[in-house]
Amino acid sequence: MPSPESDGIATFLKRTVRDGASSLQIAEAVSVALQGIDEALTPIIGKRGVAALHQRTVHLARGSGSWLILTKEGVPTAMDFEALKSALAQQEAIDAADQGALILQTFHALLTTLVGPSLTERLLRPAWATLLSGPSAQDTTS
Amino acid sequence: MTSKVAINRLATKVPGLDEILGGGLPEFSFNLIAGQPGCGKTTLAHQIMFALATPERPAIYFTVLGEPPLKMLRYQQQFEFFDTEAINTSIRFINLSDDAVVGDLDRVLKRIVDEVTRHSPALVFVDSFRSVVLASETDGNPHNSLQQFVQQLGMVMTSWQATTFLIGEYFTETDANPVFTVSDGLIWLRQSVQRNSMVRKMEIMKMRGQPTLPGLHTFRITDAGVEVFPPASVANSPPAHPNATPLARRLSMGVPGLDEMLGGGLPCGYSLLVAGPSGSGKSILAAAFLAEGVRAGETGVIAAFEQSPSRSRSRVVADLIASGKVGLVENRADLSIDEVGYMLMQNIRRLGATRVVIDSLSGFELALAPTFREDFRESLSNLVITLAGAGGTVLMTSELEDRYTDLRFSPYGTAFMTDAIIVQRYIEIDSRLRRVMAVVKVRASAHSDQLRAYSIDGDGIHIGEMLAHQEGLLGGRPTTKLAAAGPGKRS
Repeated sequence: MPSPESDGIATFLKRTVRDGASSLQIAEAVSVALQGIDEALTPIIGKRGVAALHQRTVHLARGSGSWLILTKEGVPTAMDFEALKSALAQQEAIDAADQGALILQTFHALLTTLVGPSLTERLLRPAWATLLSGPSAQDTTS
Repeated sequence: MTSKVAINRLATKVPGLDEILGGGLPEFSFNLIAGQPGCGKTTLAHQIMFALATPERPAIYFTVLGEPPLKMLRYQQQFEFFDTEAINTSIRFINLSDDAVVGDLDRVLKRIVDEVTRHSPALVFVDSFRSVVLASETDGNPHNSLQQFVQQLGMVMTSWQATTFLIGEYFTETDANPVFTVSDGLIWLRQSVQRNSMVRKMEIMKMRGQPTLPGLHTFRITDAGVEVFPPASVANSPPAHPNATPLARRLSMGVPGLDEMLGGGLPCGYSLLVAGPSGSGKSILAAAFLAEGVRAGETGVIAAFEQSPSRSRSRVVADLIASGKVGLVENRADLSIDEVGYMLMQNIRRLGATRVVIDSLSGFELALAPTFREDFRESLSNLVITLAGAGGTVLMTSELEDRYTDLRFSPYGTAFMTDAIIVQRYIEIDSRLRRVMAVVKVRASAHSDQLRAYSIDGDGIHIGEMLAHQEGLLGGRPTTKLAAAGPGKRS
């Protein structure tokens, strides 16, 4: 379910690729976005709640490609940023941007189906704001 | 100026709740909302929170190990009171499951205190408090006991000037539970099930320093949230209405000739019972009563309990309702008399209504949840008194099976509680079913003692003459009086 926020993330990631960002930088940017989501949602639904959403997100995103593997079985206790970051860093930069955007968009869409677009936008607003207003992925290496 | 502390009462804006709380919720109070699963505790808590929370008076809603927060947010936002914009501004949800899962009450308390210190909320909710208790009991926890926990929590919250609500699943109010002792307020929600009928009831078991309304009060949960129905007599307690002075003014019934039979119309503030068999024209008389009021510049309200309102409601009544001059209280499943009274009073207030019709008592009784039928007569009596006290002149119709050997006016023994009675009967004359009507009673007023024939056509009820040549009318099969009978007449 596309939204201005999740579309904005995709555009942002593609722009950073055009600006010469590496796949690692893209992976870091996506990881920052996910950490922002984690920080925004953990107080409300708990670490396990966020981890469960993340696990489902990865499961849904995998449907469109086998690039990402679920690293852990069973009930997750926390979001696994490293596994995702590592998987994205191994892609070409443009693919990493596409796949990173897919993860973020899927997470957004999943939360939207559960609590509606209005509350999703309200809850994730700080996470998007952190990513989009922060330094670009390209700057993080300097 | 007094040196005593003034306790500010917060208006919860939950319809009817402030009335049964005795004027609102005491600020800084420590309250428990308790009841069985599914009885509406979380909904009530959210409704109160969304009503009271502002950026200047923020709220924290702690979720523990009960309903998953995502699910709670998913369902609660279906209610009209849920305002997404309030989230993370005036309302903050904080999940304590990671702290509660280890069963350490000290840790849970610390986390609550940390968050309260950080955000300085004026309103704090802990849902479900029961799960905190259960978590602490799981492995013989050596830490803080429940009693200490509750006492410390209450102390901290009061010191932080936070009005607090613990939401908990408790099944019996007789449990020796420290929470019940420490809390200032105890709001107990119940669901009473009888056959296929389910009625929600609320009891304010405790509210320190408040003149709460004792007993069980029915409530309903709709898209708008919780709506409580305090007894109309207390909930509305309007000032004595000018109409309440009996015989000060009389209302026209809208049926030519009937006012004269009543001794000049129906006195304002009176209750009138129109009793008669099916098809005798009781509802038509009620409609004429309302229409006459509108014609005279008054407004009215009708509680209609027909089986199929859209089909059976008369055109006159439908037009009056459409005009906005007459309010409608419609039939709903599992009604309580308090709910009907509350809705009637709302309409009386909204429209300034002076004419009230309940059509019919038989339908009203059928519409009630079985659990309330037992008290029907007593509750109806209170309702009628309240409506009259609010300046309403009440007309009630009552289905009355024709029993020609038994002169009765109401199957409910309601006749005694009404100020006036009109009875309608069928009689047989010349192989025709005719109708007769009589005024049986108008309290403290002279009235006609005539049995008058009447007919009904498209224009309504037309009262005719007395059947002076007939006798034994109330037996259903009158005979022509011998003295008046001429040759060849039937005897």
